[in-house]
Amino acid sequence: MSRTFLVSALNQLWLPVLVIVLLWVGTAGSTNFYFPPFGDMVGAMGANLAHGGLLEDLWFSLKNILAGLGLAIVVGVLAGLIIGEHRRLRESLGPVLDFARATPTVAFVPVIILTLGIGATPKIFLIFLGSLWPILLNTISGVEGINPAVLETARSYRIPWQLRLRRVILPGATPQIVAGVRVALSVAVVLMVVSEIYGSPVGLGNFILRSGSSFAVTDTWGGTLLIGLLGYGLSVVLLAVEHVLLGWYFQRPPRVRRNTQGLALLEREALTR
Amino acid sequence: MTTPVQAATTEVLEPAAAGSKTRGRRARVHAYQLLCVVLVLLLWGAVTVSGLFTASSLPSPASVATEWLHLLGAPVFWQAVWDTLRGALVGLLFAGAVGVPLGLVTGTYAAAELSSRILVDFLRSFPVIALLPVFLLVLGSTPEMKSTVVFIACVFPIFLQAQYGARSVPPMISETVRAYRIPRLLRYTKVVLPSATPSIMTGLRLAATTSILVAIGVEILTTLPGIGHEVTQHQQNGNSAVAFGYIFTAGLLGYGINRGSMLLESILLRWRPPAHTV
Repeated sequence: MSRTFLVSALNQLWLPVLVIVLLWVGTAGSTNFYFPPFGDMVGAMGANLAHGGLLEDLWFSLKNILAGLGLAIVVGVLAGLIIGEHRRLRESLGPVLDFARATPTVAFVPVIILTLGIGATPKIFLIFLGSLWPILLNTISGVEGINPAVLETARSYRIPWQLRLRRVILPGATPQIVAGVRVALSVAVVLMVVSEIYGSPVGLGNFILRSGSSFAVTDTWGGTLLIGLLGYGLSVVLLAVEHVLLGWYFQRPPRVRRNTQGLALLEREALTR
Repeated sequence: MTTPVQAATTEVLEPAAAGSKTRGRRARVHAYQLLCVVLVLLLWGAVTVSGLFTASSLPSPASVATEWLHLLGAPVFWQAVWDTLRGALVGLLFAGAVGVPLGLVTGTYAAAELSSRILVDFLRSFPVIALLPVFLLVLGSTPEMKSTVVFIACVFPIFLQAQYGARSVPPMISETVRAYRIPRLLRYTKVVLPSATPSIMTGLRLAATTSILVAIGVEILTTLPGIGHEVTQHQQNGNSAVAFGYIFTAGLLGYGINRGSMLLESILLRWRPPAHTV
């Protein structure tokens, strides 16, 4: 078991490590103004984190993402459960919701920041607005996709609605809900960056803008790297949450599951977008 | 409320009446959908009338509609739409040209897929728009820069979907191909590509939506012309109704692209039994 784990880890890790080493060594002697040595970028990131105020920027951005996304999950899942449970409501709201999701939320950035100001609240609102639609629509289709036989059984046993919601509907829709949160997370990170570049006194987006416009290229690269790490870190955290919440889903027989986990995830994510 | 199961049984029991019945039901659904749109518009109107928001933050639906109709006759508007679309399309085309072959090839070799997994995962979760300050320094504020950002944002979903599609070739078929020693090129064009097409189409659909989103995002943050730039300009000048008109247009573009690619998907995949929709 541990041996196969080791082999699989090595199989997955050799290329990223190789790329990092190549980047590090290959750019070490770089004198190009726009492409500083990779080691310097990492160094700039570390130095700014330690005593350059970058930690505050990181905290500001992370806080906004978590607040906006959390709010979107609460509202989206609740509304999605209600809409998904009522067929008529679901069908009638279809076009409105599809259009709302298709509207790029970034287009609202100037409107909201110019009218609501450059503080944290407009950014949380923007992130909420962008993350809401994937979560809401995925919850609806998750509820819709529950096997009718299961629902019929729950009804014929006269399961009370609280129990039905907690034990039948919610678990049945969770795989889709998590896939929606995954999509929402990437939207949230983009909105975080755009809204902070557009107008903000703090935040990671503001950091890369500030350092970029003062031609501190190494700092800009360092900040950009940190944003990438933040996005990757959040998606890894979500993957861990998914494993805890959906352990039962992955334990289904291989014939049902059809593929390895990563692919199953991607497939669901793709199907629900 | 009738459940799908009940509806299905009644239709089986009365095959003669089923046609007119479903037609009547569809008409009713459309009526309800229209009602919902009207309700949303009324709600929006009521909120603006109530004075909860100033006209500059939330214009009334009527003023947005009139401004939008005005826009339809303005060449500036069509130029902006074209600028956004062109930036998005060029990036998307390059992303498809690079992502599909790479994904198909790495998808057929398990080792390649396994090795590139972490790297691709990292790059995929990277918010591409964060590269903008760097790109502004390196490439400057040009339409090519916009397409480059779109390309980077779109190449990973397409790559991953192509890879996934290539892996979905049933083992029996790939064994058969090997047993008959089918040449590699023939194998890609006749076996791997067709079975990966549904997955690739999904990837292209995802990427098409992303491309518009990223193009508009770049326009908002730079001075490049396009829908995003117009939104910023008009909002700054206090013409929020015009800004909302442009946002509405962006929504229409996104909606249209989504619908269009779904249609294309169903046409391209007509040969396939509809079972793949789980």
